[in-house]
Amino acid sequence: MSSLRCFQRLKSVFCVQVNSGVRRISAAPSSVQQKESLVTMENPYKEAQKGCVLCSITVDYKNIQLLSQFISPHTGRIYGRHITGLCGRKQKEVSKAIKKAQAMGFMSVTHKHPQFMKDPNICGIKLLD
Amino acid sequence: MGVLQYPPLDNFTGAMPRYELSLILKAMQRPETAATLRRTIETLIARGAVVRDLENLGDRLLPYKIDKHNERHSRGSYFLVDFYAAPSILTSFLDHLQRDVDVVRSTVLKKDDRVSSSNCCGPQQ
Repeated sequence: MSSLRCFQRLKSVFCVQVNSGVRRISAAPSSVQQKESLVTMENPYKEAQKGCVLCSITVDYKNIQLLSQFISPHTGRIYGRHITGLCGRKQKEVSKAIKKAQAMGFMSVTHKHPQFMKDPNICGIKLLD
Repeated sequence: MGVLQYPPLDNFTGAMPRYELSLILKAMQRPETAATLRRTIETLIARGAVVRDLENLGDRLLPYKIDKHNERHSRGSYFLVDFYAAPSILTSFLDHLQRDVDVVRSTVLKKDDRVSSSNCCGPQQ
């Protein structure tokens, strides 16, 4: 009888509960649930699209003061796109308007009108004066 | 005179496109310039055009010396005539202008109404 009790006590000692040390995987935590439902929005740090200088200005062959800002003061040559910084469409318009004005007798071909020499420099060109 | 419709509808030829005539006249006295302008516009009207506007852009030094009608011009008066006309009269009208001794240079251009139709590379306005 006593041996049976001893055995029972021993059994309780030796029977190690297997599951005590194991961490139970509980139900999914709240952070995982949030990751699944992401808010989609466009990039909030997106910079506004920068336009060229003439973006909202109509180019006219009669406006020789505007057109003279895109030609060289010494030779009257039309500046390229890398100097004026205009977009494709406006550069073409300015170029065509200058040629038109020159053909119709509004603007000179070989020089810039002295009245417009003091105009601010839009084109990124440094002239050796 | 009835109400003028814009753009004018010509019963014979249909819609008339809008043109712009840039006129450079010889440096003359005021009555002579007026007579030349009158002559030019009367020619236009006689050919069935409808003149909308006549602008004076002033007397200035020409950008380069122009040789016309055996004369070297260095000064001129600039005018701008806005009109509606049938395309068929243009060649004869330009021919007429070439023969006019007082006209130094004349150019007819079609007026484009669709200005800045779409957004050019631009920032949202």
